[in-house]
Amino acid sequence: MSQATVNSHGAVAATSAAETVDADLLQLVTFVVGAEEFAIPILSVHEINRMMEITRVPHSPPFVEGVINLRGRIVPVVDLRKRFGLPKTERDSNNRIVVVEVASRVIGFTVDRVNEVLRIAPNIVEPAPAMISGVDTEFVQGVGKLDDRLLILLDMDKLFGQSELAAMERATAA
Amino acid sequence: MTLPGQDPELMQEFLTEAGELIEQLDADLLRLESEPESKELLDGIFRALHTIKGAAGFLNLPNVTAFAHVAEDALNKLRKGEVEVNELVADALLRSVDVLRDQMAAVSDGEQPPAGPQDLMDRLAAIARNEVGPGAATIAQTIGESEAATTSSPCAAVPLAGQAEPLELTSEKQDVLPFMVDDLRATSDEWLDAIEAFTQADTRGDAMTRFTAVAQSLRSTGEYFVLKLLTAIASRIENLVQQGAELDANVVDELVPRLQVAQQLVSHFADGLAANLIYSWPLDRLFERIDELIQGKMPPEDAQVAPEGGSMEAVLLADGIADASALAAPRSAAKPSAQATPSSSDARIDQASSGEPKERDRSATNAETTIRVEVGRLETLLNLVGEMVLTKNQVLGMARRLADMSVPHDFLENAGTVAGDLDRLTAELQVGVMRTRMQPLSKLFGRYPRLIRDLAKKTGKKVELTITGGETEVDRSVLEQLGDPLVHMLRNSCDHGVEMPEQRAAAGKSELATIHLSAQHQGGHVSITIEDDGKGIDRKVIADKAIEKGLTTPELVAAMADEDVFRFIFAAGFSTAAQVSDLSGRGVGMDVVRTNIAALGGSVRVQSVLGQGTRIEVLIPLTVAIMPAMMVGVGAHDYAIPLSSVEEIVKHTDAESHYVGGRPVMRLRERVLPLIDLRERLDAQDEPGEGSFAVVVCAGQEQAGFVVDRLVGQQEVVIKPLDDTFTTGGPFSGATIREDGNVSLIMDVVKLLRAGDAARELARK
Repeated sequence: MSQATVNSHGAVAATSAAETVDADLLQLVTFVVGAEEFAIPILSVHEINRMMEITRVPHSPPFVEGVINLRGRIVPVVDLRKRFGLPKTERDSNNRIVVVEVASRVIGFTVDRVNEVLRIAPNIVEPAPAMISGVDTEFVQGVGKLDDRLLILLDMDKLFGQSELAAMERATAA
Repeated sequence: MTLPGQDPELMQEFLTEAGELIEQLDADLLRLESEPESKELLDGIFRALHTIKGAAGFLNLPNVTAFAHVAEDALNKLRKGEVEVNELVADALLRSVDVLRDQMAAVSDGEQPPAGPQDLMDRLAAIARNEVGPGAATIAQTIGESEAATTSSPCAAVPLAGQAEPLELTSEKQDVLPFMVDDLRATSDEWLDAIEAFTQADTRGDAMTRFTAVAQSLRSTGEYFVLKLLTAIASRIENLVQQGAELDANVVDELVPRLQVAQQLVSHFADGLAANLIYSWPLDRLFERIDELIQGKMPPEDAQVAPEGGSMEAVLLADGIADASALAAPRSAAKPSAQATPSSSDARIDQASSGEPKERDRSATNAETTIRVEVGRLETLLNLVGEMVLTKNQVLGMARRLADMSVPHDFLENAGTVAGDLDRLTAELQVGVMRTRMQPLSKLFGRYPRLIRDLAKKTGKKVELTITGGETEVDRSVLEQLGDPLVHMLRNSCDHGVEMPEQRAAAGKSELATIHLSAQHQGGHVSITIEDDGKGIDRKVIADKAIEKGLTTPELVAAMADEDVFRFIFAAGFSTAAQVSDLSGRGVGMDVVRTNIAALGGSVRVQSVLGQGTRIEVLIPLTVAIMPAMMVGVGAHDYAIPLSSVEEIVKHTDAESHYVGGRPVMRLRERVLPLIDLRERLDAQDEPGEGSFAVVVCAGQEQAGFVVDRLVGQQEVVIKPLDDTFTTGGPFSGATIREDGNVSLIMDVVKLLRAGDAARELARK
């Protein structure tokens, strides 16, 4: 809003009006894992990297693929295929590591490929149906209905959150 | 920080300083018990308390101020020798320190500190009531005392005797006067800091902010009490701030000593007010010169003080505040005060140069040799050095690989030299940065005499703690993690090791037991020993208990060396104490010792002779952030094993494995070591390599052979935390980045050894 202070009143109104419209749009990064296209808010994405060597960490949860060196920082990487219970596939050059920040943790996850950056209006997002082709709806925040396809909006807090981990631990302990 | 209306930075500074002062108080009070006559100690204690009180007043922490005030009163009596330092008094004072510590803890949590406990305040007040002559005479005497306490210093020698008049105030204002005096002293201290900042061009902006605060404080006090001196000085400072930081260097040189004089005047003025006196000095010329200097106009040449070294005396002379004869001998007051006789008023004024400025002066000189740096900055530096070590490792790796390529010989040689230089410089830089983080162990050790004293009192034992090697330095992170283990070990020595006086006497020992705490450097390690002359550890008691707990079998114990048997005292839940006291006996302490020491990559040894005493030695590496490691390959991945835990490496084939009780072991010369197959422990999924090695590791007194596939080599590794919840839990203490930029995990040898125990337990069941 630094513009607003220098501009005349009319300009201020115009800018803020435009911003409201902009701000209302959801800015998403979309990527593919298995047969589905997923989306997460662009603001939570730190960076997207090509595949690099991932160091396995023994005794970590099964869906944790290992750790990577992100410019001197050790970051865990989750295999989304494993997380969603999908079969393992061969790596290819389209594979990426998406690094996100969730609840002040920095976490990476592997995806088959990254599609695009999208802006969609929030009103086309609907609550998640009970079941989406094998992906546990627990991680799904909603479904975006685009003209030609469906986008699954992921709830990253649930996907990587502490409650999830606690549940994991309970499962392994049992 | 949620205390309203406080500058968090200022508050933090106060907390740091108060923390240090409290530590010092603790130590000094303990010494006082053995040297109750020491005036010097009493003065030190008084000063520390006074500083806390002053700063607390400035930061508007009335409960702290009020409590410190009561304690100060009591101390005053001691300083005058009117009250003797006995155990009761010392107890009250030590408790006061605890109260202050609690109050500081509250402040640091952002709460208003609690009021001091009433019973303690009453006791302190009772000590203080031995007072003889109340009123002005006492105050004068107090000031005199504090001056006598301070040794000579250039600042205290500046005679600032002025004219004195009695201060007449309404009772309402009279009530707030003590607070005002405190406030004024604090302001004057702040001012001193501001002046120091002002002398440096780069901190001048900061000085301006401080000046503004000082001026505000002076003005509000001055206006409320109608004190022209304060308002006049406030105006000068305000003008200076308005003029801004743009001043010529020579103007600054002239201005600074004058500001210092004005600051001193305010400080003395405050002392006068404390005695209900208003001092006045002929200050017209000083003010005039300050005004001109702020406008950028230099004073006439004969009134320039900078060429004279910018001393305050020079200003006093040049600006006619004092004349030469007054500088030689204190001037008598022209107008005797109505309340006091001329002679007593004289004495009072001369004595008015209290301890305060002198102490400040000393800290100012200290400031040149040491500076206080925020820990965060050092952390950043260390992280950067860590990055640099990694990059250096990569460069060295590249330089090595060059040799395999067809590059011109001279280029290769050059690259080798440059890489070598980089290696050496990085190593030096690393050492340099590490050294900035080193702190003397005395920071920890200083707390222990108190601990032992309290413990001994509680248990009715007579114990003396002697300390040597407190100056030994270790990395601050090491220091932090050492605190708890040392407390536990000392408690143990005092509670279990040392006998009751009668028992000692019966055993022909002196009733006074000694616990000796010592530290010294040993190569890249620091060795800390705790030695007592108590009853020692009974091998049989420990062995029986260990068998009872199922930690071992009678056959195994029979073959063990004493040291190995004593090692059981570190097992979790192991306590031979028949009863749990509030000191120890829950069997947690020694486990904490082992865990913390192991986390630092250190080891513990216990030696004991029944009836003669116990000696516990802790060996820890100097630093924990960067360490040498042995890189080994297990399956497809490389792992780092801290070199401090590696004893030796031997070639190992499966054929050499033996099994004892279903567990794989290896024979190494005369010893039989358990073997831990890392492939199995780390779930390596790929095919094993042809040759394998056994890395013989040692943590504390546990030893084992780790079977690995490959040896990669020795390397300096920078420890990175592996602290995400997804990656904790494995037997790793962290991760590091290799030459090729990929990550290797650092093995936690202790966890691996323990997990072995657990696995064995399971197997046995």
